[in-house]
This record gives sequence, C-alpha cells and structure tokens, in this order.
Amino acid sequence: MKQLGAEHIRDLCAGAAFLATGGGGDPYVSMLLAERLLARHGPATLIAPDQVPDDFLVVSIGMVGAPTVTLEQLPTEDEAINALNRYEELTGRSVDAVVPFEVGGGNSTIPLFVAAMKGIPCIDGDGMGRALPEAQMMTFPIYGAHPTPAVIADAFGHTELLECTDVHEFERLIRGKAVTMGGMISSAEHGMSGKSLRRSAVPKTISFATRLGALLCQHGGTIEAIMTQLTRLFEDSEYGLIKLLFTGKVIDTERRIVGGYDIGSATLQSLDNPACRMELMIRNEYLVAKVNQKVVASVPDLICIVEQETSRPLNAERMRYGQRLSVFGIGCTHHYRTPQALALTEPRAFGFDFDYVPLEEL
Amino acid sequence: MRLGIDVGGTHTDAVLLNGSEIVGFHKALTSSDVKQGIIDSLDAVLVAGQVDTAEIDAVMIGTTQFTNAVIQRCDLSPTALIRASLPMGSGVPPLCDWPEDALAAVGDHQYMIQGGHLYNGKPIAELDHKSLNRAIADISSKGIKAVAVAASFSPAVAEHELLMAKAVRHRIADATVTLSHEIGRLGLLERENAAVLNAALVDLARHVVNSMERALIERGINCPVYISQNDGTLMAAATIARYPALTFSSGPTNSIRGAALLSGLSDAIVVDIGGTTADIGVLADGFPRESNSHIEVGGVRTNFRMPDILPIGLGGGSLVALNGRKIGPSSVGYCLSTEGLVFGGNTLTATDIAVANGSCKLGDGVHVAHLQAEVIETATQRMHEMIDEAVDRMRPSEKPVPVILVGGGAILISRSLKTASQLIQPDHADVANALGAAIALVGGEVEHFVSYSAITRDEALTQVTQQAQQKAIAAGADAETLRVLDVEETVISYMDDAAARLRIKVVGDLRQTA
Repeated sequence: MKQLGAEHIRDLCAGAAFLATGGGGDPYVSMLLAERLLARHGPATLIAPDQVPDDFLVVSIGMVGAPTVTLEQLPTEDEAINALNRYEELTGRSVDAVVPFEVGGGNSTIPLFVAAMKGIPCIDGDGMGRALPEAQMMTFPIYGAHPTPAVIADAFGHTELLECTDVHEFERLIRGKAVTMGGMISSAEHGMSGKSLRRSAVPKTISFATRLGALLCQHGGTIEAIMTQLTRLFEDSEYGLIKLLFTGKVIDTERRIVGGYDIGSATLQSLDNPACRMELMIRNEYLVAKVNQKVVASVPDLICIVEQETSRPLNAERMRYGQRLSVFGIGCTHHYRTPQALALTEPRAFGFDFDYVPLEEL
Repeated sequence: MRLGIDVGGTHTDAVLLNGSEIVGFHKALTSSDVKQGIIDSLDAVLVAGQVDTAEIDAVMIGTTQFTNAVIQRCDLSPTALIRASLPMGSGVPPLCDWPEDALAAVGDHQYMIQGGHLYNGKPIAELDHKSLNRAIADISSKGIKAVAVAASFSPAVAEHELLMAKAVRHRIADATVTLSHEIGRLGLLERENAAVLNAALVDLARHVVNSMERALIERGINCPVYISQNDGTLMAAATIARYPALTFSSGPTNSIRGAALLSGLSDAIVVDIGGTTADIGVLADGFPRESNSHIEVGGVRTNFRMPDILPIGLGGGSLVALNGRKIGPSSVGYCLSTEGLVFGGNTLTATDIAVANGSCKLGDGVHVAHLQAEVIETATQRMHEMIDEAVDRMRPSEKPVPVILVGGGAILISRSLKTASQLIQPDHADVANALGAAIALVGGEVEHFVSYSAITRDEALTQVTQQAQQKAIAAGADAETLRVLDVEETVISYMDDAAARLRIKVVGDLRQTA
C-alpha cells in the first residue's frame, strides 16, 4: 500500500495528461481541486488490484460530460462525494474502495480525493489505462462488471439513480443526463467485487502515471532528450511498447461537435520534410494517426502527443496552428487485445473503415 | 518617418526609421521619471538623426514596465475580484494557484457569487445582486479601487460581467473595472487571473501613458501614438491605459521582430540579453513562435497568446558568485553603471567578466585587473553554457540553428555556441526592441459564432477573414500587406451540431502617410 498526497498530484496529472491521448479534459482544474482536497483530508491510500480482498465492494467514480465546459464551469467540492454517499444510501451497501474510470486526464484524480474524504482506499489501477469516450469501452464492463446501479450527481446538488440492462443503454442514458444536467456530472458506477476488479482493472496505472509525470515535469526540455528513460519506463510497464511516430508543426485543425462528441482532425507537417504530413483523427481523443495516408497507429493503442520543445502533453482542445509536436504510439493493455474488447474499441467501433493492426506490426 | 521607443526596465532606447532604414538611434538608462527618460531619448535621437520633430509621422512605444511591475510585485494596486459562477466553482476558488508573494501584492480580495452562464448560454443561476452588493460594500470599505469581474462563459455571454461592472461603478464612483471577457479568452481561471493583473496595473498604466504623451507634447510631436501589444501589433496609447495587460509580452515580440529586420533572417533563435535576464525566443517565418500553452506572467497563469519565450537569469548586471560558478539570477539591474566594478562600483557583475576577458571595452578595465584568470574563465564558460542550454531547449530540432544576439547584454557572448550554426550580432543589436516597436504592424481581429450547417467552413473562414481585413485597414493597415496571423476555432456548444467560435487576426504594415 502506498500513500498518494497533494504533493504527488502535479506529477500524476502530467502523467495522466500524457496517457489521456488528447482527451480526458485539461487536468489543470481537477489537479487544483485534488490538491486542495487532499491537503485538507490527508493522503489517499493506494491499493494494487492484486492486494484487494475478494469480497471488497469496489465502485468506479469519475466525471462524465464534455471536457471543454469545465474550463468555464469549474467543479464544486462535493459533487463526487455526493454521488458516492448517495450510492451507499440508495443501494444500502458500504463501499470498500474506489477506482478511477480512466487514468487519462482529470478523472485520474477524482477517486483519490473521494477516497481521502471517505477514509477508504483507492485502487492503483483504472478501467482503461488511457482515456476513451464511452462507458462500454471500459475494461470493467468488458470483463463482466455491470454499470448499474449507478448514482449521478450534478453541481446543483441533484442526484439520481440510474438502472439499465446493459452498458450500451447506460452510456446513452448517462450521456444524455450529462447534457441536460449542465454539461458535466459525477457518477458512481460499476460496483464490483474485489475478484471482478482483479480480472478487469488495468493494474498500477496511477503509480505509473505519477512516475511518468515526474519524468516529464523534472525534464521540461525537448522530448528527444528523455527518449531513453521514457522507453525504459514504458517497457517496464503494462504498456510495453512506445514509438516516436512523428515530429511536426500543426498546419490545420478542424473541430466540430457531433452527437455530443468533439470530432475533428488535425494536419501536421514534418519539420524536416514539408511534403511529409501526419493526419490525426480526433473524437475527444486522438484515435487514428496517418502519415502520408498510411495508418501508423490507431485505437485502442494510444496516440500520445507532447509539445516537442517542452515535453508537455497536449490536450486535443489546445491544438493550434503553428504548434510543434511530437506524436507517440504506445501499445495498449492486453485487456484490449481480445476480439471481444476490440469489437468495442477498434477503429471500426469509431466509424473508421479499416481493421485494427497492432502498433508493433505497423 | 517613424520613431520607435522602447522603455525597458534598464534602458530606454529610441530609433528613427525612414522606411526600413535607421537614420538615428540612442540608448540611455531608464530613469525613474519615465517622462524625462523619453524626452532625453527623443532629444538625443533627433540630434543623432538630424531630424525635425515635424518629420515624425508616428510614434510607437514598446514597454516592459507592466510586466516588470508584475514580476517584481511593485506598483500593483490592491485589487478585488468578483466571480459569478456559483454553485459551480466552489472547489477551485479564484486566485487559488497564485504564488504567495503575488497574492500578497494584490491582496486576496476575492468574492464568489451566484451567476454566470452554462456552455449552452443559459444562466448557471440568476446573478445574485444581494451578494454582489455585499461584496461591493466590502470592497468599498477596504478602500479598494481596482476591481476585476469574471463570470463563467463570459466570452460567449457577457451579460453578468456587464451587470457586475455597472454595479461596481455605481457604488464605487472612482473604481477602475476590468471585465474579464474584454481581455481574455475561454478558461475562467486564466481569464480572471489576467483580469486581476490588468486591474492591478491600471493606475500605473494611466500614469505611464500620461507621462509618455506629455513628453511628446512637450517636444511638439502631435502625430498618432501607438503602444505595441503582445502579438506585435499596435494599439492606441489611450487603449493601453485601460488594458495594460495586453502589453505583457511586447518586449520579447519587439526584440524578435527587430532582430529579424536587422539580421535579414526569418528563421533563427533570438537571444535578447538585457540587464537582468536573457529572453530566448524563436523566429519562425519572420514572426515570434507563439507559445503552445498557458503563459505565466510573474508566476500567474494566464491565457494570452504570447511569443514562446524562455527567460533565464543572465544579464549584464547579473551577480557573479562562487568564484564564477554561479551567475545570476540576482542582478544590480539599472544600477550597473554605478555598482559594476568597471564603473567604479563594488559588485562583481557579468559585465565585469566580459571586460576582464577582453570581449568588450566598457568603463575602466583597471578595476577588474585584480580578478583571477581562473575566475574569469569559469564565469565566461558558465555564461556561454547558460545560453547554450537555453538555446537547446528552444530550438526546433537537434540541428544547430542561427543564433541572433541582441540587447545591451549581448557583449557577454564572445565565443561560439555548441547549439549555433552561426552567431550573428547585427549592427544596432542593442536597440532591436525599439526597432521592433517602430516596425510593428497594425492588426484587425474579428470573432464570430458561425454555424457550419448554415455555411461551409471555407466560406466562414473567408468571410471572417475579410471582416478582420477591413478592421485592420480601418485601423491604419496597408491593404497590400495584409496577411492572416492567427486563426482560432473554438467549439463551445454541443447543442448545435456544427457551431464554432471563429477568431481571426490579420496584420499589415502601417500605411505610409504621404
């Protein structure tokens, strides 16, 4: 068991922003929130999935909605804990531990301060090992956990119990609720046993993200200078493979919102060879990267982008003309490499007309 | 003819420009009396250029005074902030990420009330006038005159900020109010930070702009006066008196643009070494490369678009310690001419090392004759290493790049740099900032909400660009030279499937008057 306190939050958020593959929102706001709440309520206790007792009730907690809105609609102190407290009241069960939906982005910090506020441990792991846009893409439901009963809470103090027969219906329902309840809500969901968690959670991702973030933050210079350490870090982790796919300048971006998702594309031009271009397809996250029309990485493998000069991870919302970026491909967790998981997370699941080819074969 | 003046923390420089030809320049130490400093520079440059005041068509002033005030935490007015966002935002209160000394300088006077808008334009809550009035009464009782107001999604719906500003002005007659949506963009925390900094600077700005204008009037100069902004474009001086925060990064922008003109290069690293710091920036296609992320001004996070600058604590006045192993970040600053050893002072500075190692002649070398050769060598190497490291962090790739050295402290660098393919110290490099101000451009910016279901993206881009062009021409830009400097597309709503906020900035040269 490890303790994770306010002093680790900046590192965790830098790592989480890298693993967010462009989505998950700018973790700055949740970072400030987590720092304040962890400083007040003490550090969170982290527990690795393989240490969790079989009969534990673990609940996944985080925020659902449009990340852009939190830049203006800043979070309240008690929305997430309200969701969890109400979950206990409505289900009549006491929760033994919480687990993040996703290590990518601001959702990595929420269970930490909720755990500290509640005096229970937080799992060192998550349900994606990255960030992805929809509930059915989480490893928890893919490996058997049921999303409901779930309790959602908004900034105005409203809570609501959701019950659904399957995760696809849950996703549609909760997404609609997020839109009607102000754009962003907190959800306590996917209650599962310790045994179920061990099968489904991507392990040790919170501590990994904290180490990754520490490396990026301490360095601060060009990404090329830390490639060796970065490669070693990933090779010794759940991810395994990291490849530098492209370094170039943003020459065009286009974004629009379709059905509640931030859909867009961006074109990068190589710094060395102006004729060489990378195209990025974005749906909240960076989903597909092509170089001169050829796919070089795609979901569920991770496409992670940093500012080339500073090694700072770049959120897709912040992508602008003229930025100089380094684009990485990173192997996804083995949880996503099964046919059943791929059916929900491969390029076709996002409407692209091509099959997934693992990063290591591209 | 144009007169460019740069009022920096250490030096006040002036350049007279006929087209792109320098006909006169002057460099002087900044005096504590801004007006006198400008008059002195003006007189000197007119004599140097043998030019009559009547020949001056426009005056462009660049100043780092407002940035310096924030960095040094001085001349900042006590400032209050009222944020309308509750019940949202209680978890992340205003000013919560400010450095302690910055917070102490403006005072932690923040108020959160109900109000603001949601992403879809609906109110989060009705503006809570009762709490607003209580906040204003408290601000008034503290005697605070500088007030910033911010509300969620005010760049889209300004209503609550306008109401708050009106109430503040009504209850505190001599208040200066900054509305966050007038200076910042989306991102409530950053926008309210920028608004607080702006509000805290308005008093100083009025004084500074007034001094500048009086100086010019005293010398019978009646042409338009512009002050350069962050992006290298000009704004009327009277506007800057209300929005000083818009000048925060004009110093580096001017120096990079000036360096481009002086060197004839359009892609390089520009190292501007002043009295206290060296600013390393990137010249890309003739313009400063803009920062990718949030810009901190004196440790305070803002969301201005600014050139990507890496400042390091090395300048002509930097203190040399530990037998030459440590240089800066402390500096004697503008006291160099009295404190530095070569000027008869008692402090070993970076400039003294440059004189001692023979790279320049300044003051009296006798005063540094006693320095040990080892100390001189160690310090010289350390200065070059510091610049080398900084260039390495900023260059676009591992390939060596041309490095242009400008600023009064450029004398510190006399040897080759590992990171530089060539080292250029152009003539007049010490007045690059004033030159950059003199060649600053005129901009036009237009922001619109567009719906791509009603109009194609290309059509929208064309229309908004045309409007920005018209605005730039109206502001005095030469139509022939207009080009798009920036396109920003922000999606704010997912109620309409194809709505975007489109902000386009075009720039052009100042139209030559006959």
